[in-house]
Amino acid sequence: MLRACRRLLRPAGKIAFYTIFIPSGLSPSEYRRAARSGPAAVTSQRREQGHLLRSAGFTRIEETDVTEAFLRTTRAWLEARSRYAGELSEAEGEAPFRDRQRRYRLQAGAIEAGLLRRSLFVAARGPQ
Amino acid sequence: MAPDKKIVSRFQDRYSLPVTDAALAVEREVIGANVGASGYATVAQADALIRRLSLQPGTRLLDVGAGKGWPGLYLAQRTGCDVVLTDIPAPGLAAAARRAREQDLANRSSVVRAAAEQLPFRPGTFDAIVHTDTL
Repeated sequence: MLRACRRLLRPAGKIAFYTIFIPSGLSPSEYRRAARSGPAAVTSQRREQGHLLRSAGFTRIEETDVTEAFLRTTRAWLEARSRYAGELSEAEGEAPFRDRQRRYRLQAGAIEAGLLRRSLFVAARGPQ
Repeated sequence: MAPDKKIVSRFQDRYSLPVTDAALAVEREVIGANVGASGYATVAQADALIRRLSLQPGTRLLDVGAGKGWPGLYLAQRTGCDVVLTDIPAPGLAAAARRAREQDLANRSSVVRAAAEQLPFRPGTFDAIVHTDTL
């Protein structure tokens, strides 16, 4: 996807994205817990993001850790949705509502345990 | 890699849900505004994208995995840039197009249904690309 994006940028163009990832250095069981607890598509490792950007030809790669905000936002979804549980259950269906709340709880626990992180990556298209 | 059908289906269902007062209240509290968001990018984090990408009138921005238009439409509204929103679930893109009309952004925005790996644009089309938690 990053190669495809780079192709679409004009020469001085830039890409910026927030991404959730599993940090490197986890044990196999920690990795499995992280993969179960995060959003469905999260499997990548931190080095892989920078490596992927470089491999795709991007330069001036900058990373800003936003994991604390990620935890706050995850908790905020869980708590705010709990306060409106009646109306949201009716709209979403009781089982889907409960499942989503369960996943927020799992995710918050994994972030607190250092198993999930989130960063902002910014990179320049780089020369041809 | 082709998009995971289960993930696409989950978002398809999510974007098809009725927008209730409760959902709007929750979004305002968590994200900071009603912007069609259901993920982890807050208004403050969208504002950071403006600074990091130097978005301004005339900038051509691509938002990959735009869902219901967040943050692309917000960035277009705040900065005057033009934005193309892409994603796969059609209900999300329909909601994004509706938002664009409601916010008088229809002449500076467009929606394209496409997978991130197969974006149908010519090389060098965009000045900036954003996505939030798509990778």
